[in-house]
Amino acid sequence: MSAYILRRLLGAVPLLLGIATLVFFVLDLAPGDPTAFYFSPNVPPEVLEQLRINYGLDQPVHVRYVKWMSEFFTGNFGFSFGKGRPVADILIETLPNTLILTGTSLILVFVVGVAVGVWQAVRQNTLADGLLGGVSLFFYSMPSFWLALMLVLLFSLKAHQWGWPVAFPPTGMTSVDYDALGFFGRLGDRAMHLALPAATLTLALAAGIARYARGQMLEVVRQDYVRTARAKGLPEHTVILKHALRNSLIPVITLLGLYLPYLFSGAVFVEYIFGWPGMGRVIVDGILQRDYPVVMATSFLFAVMVVLGNLLADVLYAVADPRIRYE
Amino acid sequence: MHLCARTALTAALAALLAACGGDRQSNVGGATVVAALRSDFSGFNTITNSAQYTNEVMNYALFTPLVQYDDNLQVRPWLAESWELLGDTAVVFHLRADVHWHDGRPLTAADVKFTFDMAKTPETASLLGSAFLSDVAAAEVLDSLTIHFSFARPHAQALEDFWWAPMPQHLLEGIAPAELRNAPFNRAPVGSGPFRFVEWRANERVVLERNPDFPEGLGGPAAAQRIVLRIVPEVSTLLTELFTGGIHVDIDVMPDQTASIEQRSGDARLHAFPGRTVYYIGWNNARAPFDDARVRRALAQAVNRQEIIDALLKGHGVISTSTIPPWHPLHPGNIEPLAYDTAAAATLLSAAGWTDRNGDGMRENAGGQPLRFVLLASDDPLRRSVVEVVQAQLRRVGVQVDVRVIEFQTMLQQHRNREFDAVFTNWVIDNFQVASSPFSLLHSSQADVPRSANRSSVRDQRLDALIDAGRSATDPSEQRRIWREFTEVLQEEQPLTFLFWIEELAASSQRLDGVSMDPRGEFMTIHDWSLGAR
Repeated sequence: MSAYILRRLLGAVPLLLGIATLVFFVLDLAPGDPTAFYFSPNVPPEVLEQLRINYGLDQPVHVRYVKWMSEFFTGNFGFSFGKGRPVADILIETLPNTLILTGTSLILVFVVGVAVGVWQAVRQNTLADGLLGGVSLFFYSMPSFWLALMLVLLFSLKAHQWGWPVAFPPTGMTSVDYDALGFFGRLGDRAMHLALPAATLTLALAAGIARYARGQMLEVVRQDYVRTARAKGLPEHTVILKHALRNSLIPVITLLGLYLPYLFSGAVFVEYIFGWPGMGRVIVDGILQRDYPVVMATSFLFAVMVVLGNLLADVLYAVADPRIRYE
Repeated sequence: MHLCARTALTAALAALLAACGGDRQSNVGGATVVAALRSDFSGFNTITNSAQYTNEVMNYALFTPLVQYDDNLQVRPWLAESWELLGDTAVVFHLRADVHWHDGRPLTAADVKFTFDMAKTPETASLLGSAFLSDVAAAEVLDSLTIHFSFARPHAQALEDFWWAPMPQHLLEGIAPAELRNAPFNRAPVGSGPFRFVEWRANERVVLERNPDFPEGLGGPAAAQRIVLRIVPEVSTLLTELFTGGIHVDIDVMPDQTASIEQRSGDARLHAFPGRTVYYIGWNNARAPFDDARVRRALAQAVNRQEIIDALLKGHGVISTSTIPPWHPLHPGNIEPLAYDTAAAATLLSAAGWTDRNGDGMRENAGGQPLRFVLLASDDPLRRSVVEVVQAQLRRVGVQVDVRVIEFQTMLQQHRNREFDAVFTNWVIDNFQVASSPFSLLHSSQADVPRSANRSSVRDQRLDALIDAGRSATDPSEQRRIWREFTEVLQEEQPLTFLFWIEELAASSQRLDGVSMDPRGEFMTIHDWSLGAR
C-alpha cells in the first residue's frame, strides 16, 4: 500500500509541474498587466515602466519562467504585486479558512448524502422517499449563487426581521467581538458563521450523493449475501448499516474524489458571497489584477489538493472493499 | 459513563445554542463602530499607495496630513498649523509640536522631508511623487518643526500639493526605495492620527483603536473606542449586514439598493453625496470618423444623458461638462452642457457627409461606408447597460454602434494601446487639484506618449493653451476664467464626451451618530463616529 502511495505521489510531480508551466504561460498570454491597478490617468507612463522593472516584468517570459521555477523549488513564492507582501504569508493566512469551509462541507456532503440516500432506499417508493427525492432534485438543479442568496434572505435577513430565535450572520468568519468570547462562545460563533456558506456548498453536492447512494443501496440489498444476512436472523439495521452499506459506498467514494475540484471552485464564489476570507477570493483577485505570483501559487496549491484528494479516494476504496489491493 | 457523555454533549449543545441565540445588535460592543467595504485595503503607506479608501483611512484615521480641507473645500491647517507662501516660488510650513507617532516619538519636519524625498525617488514608483508633487522641486528642513518646499514652477492650487500624511522616518529609513511597496510596515503601520493600528486580517478586517493622545487642537481623542473595517465583497450580503445590525456603515451601496434603504428609514440612513467619479465616452480622435469635430458633437447631442441618469442611476448623478466637478470651488459656474437634440445631431452628421444613401435607415458617407463603430466597455452591470442605451439612442440618428463588453484588463489594454474606436469608461479624480487631469487626458504633448492617459489622441491647440495657462495661473478668479473657456471649448469640440458625475452612495445605521459624507470621502468623519443609545 505504502509503495502504491509513494508511486502515485511521484507520478503526481510531473503532472503538477506541467500544470504550473501551463498556468504560467497561459497567464502570460492573457491581455492586461499587473500595473493596471494604477489606472488613474494621472500616473505618468514612466511610473508604470518603473513598476514593471520593480516587478521584473521587463524580462522576457522564458527568463521569468526559469526564475520563478527555481525560486519556487527553494520554497520562495515571491511577493504579491497587489498586496506588497510575501505570497506565502497570504497563503498561510487564507488557506486554513478555505480548508475549514471545504473540509466541513466535504464531511457534510458525504454524511448527509449517504444518510439520506440510505434512508430513502430503505423506504423505497414510499411518500417520504418521493418527497426526499424531489427535494434532492430541487437542490441539485438550483444554481448555487441563487441558493446562497436565498439562504441569506431567509435565514439572515428575514429571520432577523421576524425575530426568529436563531438568525445567522450573513457574512464573515467570526464576529467582531470574537476575541472577547469564551470557548463555547467562540465555537458557537464559528458554527453560526459557517452555517450558511457550508450549507450552500453542501446542499447541491449532497443531493447528488444521496441519489447515487440510494440507487447503489437498492442494488446491493438485492444481492445474495444480504439475503443470507437476513436469513440468519440479523436485525434489519445491522443488515443495512453493517453489511450492505459498506459495499454500496464504493462508487460514492469515486464521486468524492471527483467532487473535490467542484468543492474548491464552489468555494471561490461562496467565499465571495459570504465574505469568507479564504483562498478562493485571493485567487480571483489575483487573476483580475494579473497578480502573477499569487495566481501561480494558489492555482498550484489547488492542483496539489485535487491530486491528493483523488489519491485519498483511491486509498479509501481499499478500505471500503478488501478485494481491492494496491501492489 | 454513557449517561455522563450524553450529559456533557447536551451541555455543550446548550452552550452552543445560547451563544448562537443572542441579539446581533448586542454582539457589536457599545464603543465599537463597524464599517464595511467591498475590497481589501492596499498597504498603508502614503508613498506607494494609489487606492482611494486606503488613502482616506490614512488621511482621516491613521495619520496626520499636512493640510486638510474644510467644508468649502478650502485648505485648512492640520499638521502644519501655519504657513507662509513665498510668492509663487516656495512655501514654508510650521508644524504642530504636539503630534506624536503612536510609538511615542515626536513627528518632525525630518519625517516630512523623508516622505517627500522618498516619493520623489523614481524607484518607489510613487503616484504622490510623480503626479501630485510634480510641481514641487525640493524640501529643506529649517528646524525640527519648520520645512521649506520650493516649487519647480509657479502653479495653481499650490497649497493643495500637500494633502498627504508624512510617514515615520525612523521606521522606514534603510528600506530600498524599490522595496518600499513590500515593506512589512505597510501592513502594520505606526501612525500619528486619531486611531492606532491594531490588526489586519487579509480580506477580512482591519481593526483600529482610539489614540488617547491625539492633540486637542486637532479635535482630541476620537469618539469611538474601536473601529472595525470589514471587507464584504458582495453588495447584497453587505447590505444585509447593515439591516441585521452586523455593521453600522455600508460604504458601497448600489443605485438599485436605495429604495430598500429608504423603506427602512427607522434602521438605516442613506448617504447620497457628490462623487469624484466621472463617466465619459472617449472617441479615438485619430481615427475616422472621430477626427471630425462635427461627428463627435453630433454623437454627443444624440446621447440623452438625463435619460441614462434617471433610468440607470435612479437619478443619482448629474450631467458633466468637463473634468471639473460641479461642486468644486474652481468650477466655472453654469455652463450649459451640449443639449440633447437629435435634429441638430442629424443636421451635423449630414453636413459632415454622413447621410442615408441607400434607404436602410443608417447613414453612409460618399464612399458608401456605413457610419458604424465599436463601443468598448469593461464588464460591469452599469457600464453594460449604459453602452446598450447609448447604442439604442445613436441608432435613432442612423448610427450603428457595435457594443463590445469585455473583461476590465483586456479593455484597459486596448484603451491604453489606442486600439479602439470609442470607449465608455470612468475616471476618478484623486484629489482636488483641477489642472492635473486635463493635462494628462487632453494635452497634445501626451498624445503620442506610449501608455499615457491621452488615449484618445486629443490634439487641440486651444485646449493646450488653456491647460497650460490653467496650470500656471495662481489667482483663483483668473483660474475660474480659464477653466470656463476650457469647458466651453470642450462643449464645442467634444474630444471626449463627458456623460455624468455619479453620486456616491453609502448607508449607515440610525444608531450611529456623527456620520456625514461629501466629496472629501466616506471616512471623512470617522473621528466623530459614535454609537448612540437608540
